[in-house]
Amino acid sequence: QEKKLISPEGVEAPKPSLYHDHKRVNCNPEVFRCTLNAIPQNSSLLNKARLPLGILIHPFKDLSQLPVIQSSVIVRCRSCRTYINPFVTFVDQRRWKCNLCFRVNELPDEFSFDPVTKTYGDPQRRPEIKSATIEFIAPSEYMLRPPQPAVYLFVLDVSFNAIETGYLRLFSQTLLEELERLPGDARMQIGFLCFDRSLYFFNLSEGLSQPQMMVVPDLEDVFLPTPDSLLVNLHECREMVVELLNQLPGLFEGNHETGNALGSALQAAYKLMHSTGGRITVMQTILPTVGPGALENREASSQAASLNSSNLGPASDFYKKLALDCSAQQVAVDLFLLNGQYADIATVACISKYSAGSVQYYPSFHTVRNPAMSDKFESDLRRYLTRKVGFEAVMRIRCTRGVSIHTFHGNFFVRSTDLLSLPNVNPDAGFGMQMSIEENLTESSNVCFQAALLYTSSKGERRIRVHSLAVPITNQLSDVFAGADQQAIASLLAKMAADRTVSSSLEDARDAMMNACQDMMNAYATQIPASQRAGALMVPYTLRLVPLFVLAMLKSTAFRLSPSIKVDERVFAHLLAKTLPTSYLLQTYYPHLYPVHNLNDENVIERNNEKVPKAPRLQLSSANIDRHGVYVMDQGENMFLMVGGAVSDVFCQEVFDMPNFMSIPEGMADLPELENPTSERLRCFISHLMDSRPGGVTFLVLREDSKLRNRFFQYMVEDRTESSMSYYEFLQFVQQKIKG
Amino acid sequence: MATYQEFIQQNEDRDGVRFSWNVWPSSRLEATRMVVPLGCLFTPLKERADLPPIQYDPVLCTRPTCRAILNPFCQIDYRAKMWACNFCYQRNPFPPQYTAISEQHQPAEIIPQFSTLEYTITRATCHPPIYLIVLDTCMEEEDLQAVKESLQMSLSLLPPNALIGLITFGKMVQVHELGSEGVSKSYVFRGTKDLTAKQIQEMLGIGRGQAPQQQRGPQAPQQQFQLPSNRFLQPVHKCDMSLTDLLGELQRDPWPVAQGKRPLRSAGAALSIAVGLLECTFPNTGARIMTFLGGPCTQGPGMVVGDELKHPIRSHHDIEKDNCKYMKKGMKHYEALGHRAANNGHVLDIYSCALDQTGLHEMKFCPKYTGGHMVMGDSFNTSLFKQTFQRVFSKDQKGEFKMAFGATLEVKTSRELKVSGAIGPCVSLGVKGQSVSDTEIGLGGTCQWKMCGLYPNTSLGIFFEVVNQHNAPIPQGGRGYLQFITQYQHSSGQRRVRVTTVARNWADASSNIQHIAAGFDQEAGAVLMSRIAVYRAETDDGPDVLRWLDRMLIRLCQKFGEYHKDDPNSFRFSENFSLYPQFMFHLRRSQFLQVFNNSPDETSYYRHMLNIEDLTQSLIMIQPILYAYSFTGPPEPVLLDTNSLQPDRILLMDTFFHIVIYHGETIDQWKKAGYADLPEYENFKQLLQAPVDDAQEILQTRFPMPRYIVTEHDGSQSRFLLSKVNPSQTHNNMYGFGQDAGAAVLTDDVSLQVFMEHLKKLAVSSSS
Ligand SMILES: [Zn+2]
Ligand SMILES: [Zn+2]
Repeated sequence: QEKKLISPEGVEAPKPSLYHDHKRVNCNPEVFRCTLNAIPQNSSLLNKARLPLGILIHPFKDLSQLPVIQSSVIVRCRSCRTYINPFVTFVDQRRWKCNLCFRVNELPDEFSFDPVTKTYGDPQRRPEIKSATIEFIAPSEYMLRPPQPAVYLFVLDVSFNAIETGYLRLFSQTLLEELERLPGDARMQIGFLCFDRSLYFFNLSEGLSQPQMMVVPDLEDVFLPTPDSLLVNLHECREMVVELLNQLPGLFEGNHETGNALGSALQAAYKLMHSTGGRITVMQTILPTVGPGALENREASSQAASLNSSNLGPASDFYKKLALDCSAQQVAVDLFLLNGQYADIATVACISKYSAGSVQYYPSFHTVRNPAMSDKFESDLRRYLTRKVGFEAVMRIRCTRGVSIHTFHGNFFVRSTDLLSLPNVNPDAGFGMQMSIEENLTESSNVCFQAALLYTSSKGERRIRVHSLAVPITNQLSDVFAGADQQAIASLLAKMAADRTVSSSLEDARDAMMNACQDMMNAYATQIPASQRAGALMVPYTLRLVPLFVLAMLKSTAFRLSPSIKVDERVFAHLLAKTLPTSYLLQTYYPHLYPVHNLNDENVIERNNEKVPKAPRLQLSSANIDRHGVYVMDQGENMFLMVGGAVSDVFCQEVFDMPNFMSIPEGMADLPELENPTSERLRCFISHLMDSRPGGVTFLVLREDSKLRNRFFQYMVEDRTESSMSYYEFLQFVQQKIKG
Repeated sequence: MATYQEFIQQNEDRDGVRFSWNVWPSSRLEATRMVVPLGCLFTPLKERADLPPIQYDPVLCTRPTCRAILNPFCQIDYRAKMWACNFCYQRNPFPPQYTAISEQHQPAEIIPQFSTLEYTITRATCHPPIYLIVLDTCMEEEDLQAVKESLQMSLSLLPPNALIGLITFGKMVQVHELGSEGVSKSYVFRGTKDLTAKQIQEMLGIGRGQAPQQQRGPQAPQQQFQLPSNRFLQPVHKCDMSLTDLLGELQRDPWPVAQGKRPLRSAGAALSIAVGLLECTFPNTGARIMTFLGGPCTQGPGMVVGDELKHPIRSHHDIEKDNCKYMKKGMKHYEALGHRAANNGHVLDIYSCALDQTGLHEMKFCPKYTGGHMVMGDSFNTSLFKQTFQRVFSKDQKGEFKMAFGATLEVKTSRELKVSGAIGPCVSLGVKGQSVSDTEIGLGGTCQWKMCGLYPNTSLGIFFEVVNQHNAPIPQGGRGYLQFITQYQHSSGQRRVRVTTVARNWADASSNIQHIAAGFDQEAGAVLMSRIAVYRAETDDGPDVLRWLDRMLIRLCQKFGEYHKDDPNSFRFSENFSLYPQFMFHLRRSQFLQVFNNSPDETSYYRHMLNIEDLTQSLIMIQPILYAYSFTGPPEPVLLDTNSLQPDRILLMDTFFHIVIYHGETIDQWKKAGYADLPEYENFKQLLQAPVDDAQEILQTRFPMPRYIVTEHDGSQSRFLLSKVNPSQTHNNMYGFGQDAGAAVLTDDVSLQVFMEHLKKLAVSSSS
């Protein structure tokens, strides 16, 4: 057993070993990566390796550098429509050979024309050839209709429960502050729809003296109360929108209506949006109880409900059907779930799942009682409101001939074998695809994957973002193992397990993960001559973290065999497994742990003119926790500052403004801004960590003796617990199964 | 001894009552032979400036089946402090507070001049009236603007504590919340759906305002409660500013209307919601639903025509051919609404302004059952509508609204009489009792009716049956009694009880027919007969009604005329019968019974007004008044006859619905020549002005405001006059008579002269 599986610097993503130029231009693994950086030449070799083949893509990730091309001609293969990319071969100056279907295509003159020198030259100078990620501004043939304006509809739960959480005030305030920064052009439209047992529409047309609220209490056969002015041009009607946002919290104060008609609200929202398409943002705090789409509390009806896979899948197809309607009309539905009690996320989230929306979940949300969650919601919402959004999008994934996709993971609707409908695409959404090798890959030395995302920008431009990833082909099993991407593999295993939990059972999914782990180890071992085997578990370096990740997953909210896990928590964890980009996903299973009691100025990195102290990553073992120490655990969604019981009084004074450990109060969600180096360093370190992700994170100070300490210690996945194996035991378990 | 004329006038002035017969035949058999039924036109709230304010409860007869109210016809035993009921002869003690009673010291209720008296029930709580506006927004911009302004104006006329509400409708129905600040709120309903009151209550989130208030007799215990306002019905003083703004911002219905289509207008659903809203919040409290309608209901419950413009709204021909797709269903909807509103004591007004029909024919039940207004005009942007609407809020000399709410009228009869029914703006309360007759005329089978909305001129036709047997002696004292007890909510909110007690002499028709004949009130008789005729026309078939009227007229002539058998020339009618055939002649050819020159909506409108108005106004409707203005003398009433159309005359005709000024040929020529502007023809100018001034006087007071038409000889609008005058000269006979004066009327109608000749012939005929 190695003491340091994870280097203090964290885990690096391996890159396909291509020849120098290709390696240099290949797609950023944060955007596009394959589980195998050396693709087996045929399926039998893949079978021998027992490694999952798939790609993980984060297609709309915020990028600091993105070449954008506005060109009258977009060069594509005439046969398979692949976009020209760095991995094609030029037969001569005028012809190129497609690296996916191998057709030789003519190169249009314009392609080699350099407008600066006004000469025809080397096509290799083109940005299409120099970058694996590129964006085209599309000409009109890429449009079925003129690009639609950015249309935002906010659908807000205002039932008793919703108002009680205090979210509406926070939401209104945040939106007011970010209103200027909503992405869109002069045509941008906005609208609001509130609901409890009734639907509340708002006429915000300019020229009114005040916003007009129209209440529709009849939920049967939902209808719009007026044909226009429910979605208004934000620039023309800004005053009215601001007025409404100022009034909104007061408008529903003291609302005693407990009924929740989410289904009707969504139907109405669809009616409002279906002619333009756009984004529906839903704030939901409770189980939908009335009208179409009303749901039963499945959690209450059975014990250990979250172990039962029937509770983890949808109870009705209402939300899925509506989502498909939305998808067909270019409408995406994003959910913010602020429910403290069971709200059947498994069913409700279908509205986002099939319309390519996003789902955020804030369990036990309350602006007063849960400030940490409230802070996370606020920063998530800010990010959400201002992040890029692509409308009317489709994503097509092409692969070199011989490789094909058989399963997709993420939120979308599969329109055809390689085409995903994404009414909206957001920069935080990840996707995964499982592939199979159908033919011997002998025509080329590389396999190339190309993802083309066609979307309408919030400024009304039709754009195509193209990512191309090339991976070398090998006929050597050892190469396959040497090129394995353990993070990608773990991420893909999580997605498969999430599906398996619902389609079969939790036990099945767990077994499958363990089996996969054992199988790949076994496969690796068998290709090593018996003489070289040392009796210990043979783990290739590239896969050394897989058992650790699998163990972490087995102990996670998503897959733990624990009856105390709430259904919604488990379902949401599955949703994350399906949609989070790889590194964020793995962080939720195996959080990052840093000792922060000894931060100093010697080891800093410059960032935005700030000196950010560095701390080494620690493995998640209680052995690494010293009572004298203080630790930050960053789980992605949540962050904890664990204070050891023997922490010095000086540290307490300098960081918490408290005389000693015992005076640190329970539930601190903030560090005081104290002017001393210890405090400043720690706050700088933490805020740097927080800034490293797009969304928000809860922050909680935990004393070692806190009754909430398990929130931290549950992630000590290498420890043994009453019901789970330690990492060491798990390794032994894996090894047991390996046939001599 | 006063003449009958004076007696009748006196009684009308004092008691608001006009009987067809002022001396009553003492037996059932004789009564049935009087042809014109015994009945009266009763005006419960006739304006009386001289009524003393009585602030105590009326004294009731103690007999449980009687409960008549102490009145001047009761015998008083001052020594025993007892009074004898003139209806049931029960001897009743006076209540303790009457101990000081003596012949010198009489309470008002037994003083003969106070046969009509009004009590204010001081213990009852005051309800401010409720006004719920139901406004069509599918109108032309100009119309909507006008109606909005009228409504804004009306806010200043309402008492500040009155509650007000607003419902608007087009494709959807919107119930507006009033007085909300920052964001204006409304509840929106699909116009195609009929909701029950309970559903409306739930959807609007309103609790039941109070336990339903049952009809309270004057003695019933009074509960104290506060009138709860809700978000939709707010006191005027609290919301007039915001309502003014709300109305100001109101837009035309935003739903697009395709070419060749009518707007989708959900009048039926809107009214249903209005009725439901009041039903579940303020049952049995005075309230008016004021509906402003700019076109026909084209969808949902109560639709009267489809939205395809190529399919016109039903005509009388369609109705006759039973070719109306929506009519019966629509009528059913509105009739049910009318009943519901009436049961809750709520008034339904319809102000319909459109060039085409709007469905008044189907909707008529709403105002009819509730005593609401029905007003018909071409546009809301006319003085006809604006003035009319303003008059809704007219006040009396005391500065109080003339409109009253939630009345019940109870009729008590002495033993020889029973009540057969009532015709007017009321519904039956279905209260059986000793005084209820088995024979029904109009709404019968009850001795109590509900009138949710009434004005000082609102009049009911009430019909009686003499039940005394032929061989029974003339009843004791020789007089029969009737008592009308009207309980109502005064506009001030007070509960009031007005009691009218009348007595008439009995006469034995077999020996004293001349006494009975002398007591005939031909005007009252004509109006009562026209109410019956219209009632029959509405419920039965039209042509049968005309035949029935003819038959009745002939029989009346036979019974009361003097003639030799088979000698038409010998026929004579006494003076108090002499005008009656003329009334019948004009009634026969009036728009009330001749429908084919009018739309069904117009017919419904005309009939509605005849069903409400008092005797004077009703007579004008039946036989319009014609005045002539000329240089030969002061203005004078002239016969409603073509002969009255002279070249050198100006005529002023008042049909109640129309005021027509007609310039004869010569007058018209002078006018066109501009003589009026010349100083030397000042008298011509004055002549032209005189009928205009007189017309203004009518226009200022009439409700609804009449259509005002100025026309001249050969003017296209002169048809309004020509259709009314007796066609004594038509193209059929004018050459034959060779008269040179007068204008010919192009009509095939028979003239009054021909009608009379026929009538006399039939009356004297021994074969009939
Ligand atoms: Zn190709
Ligand atoms: Zn009595």
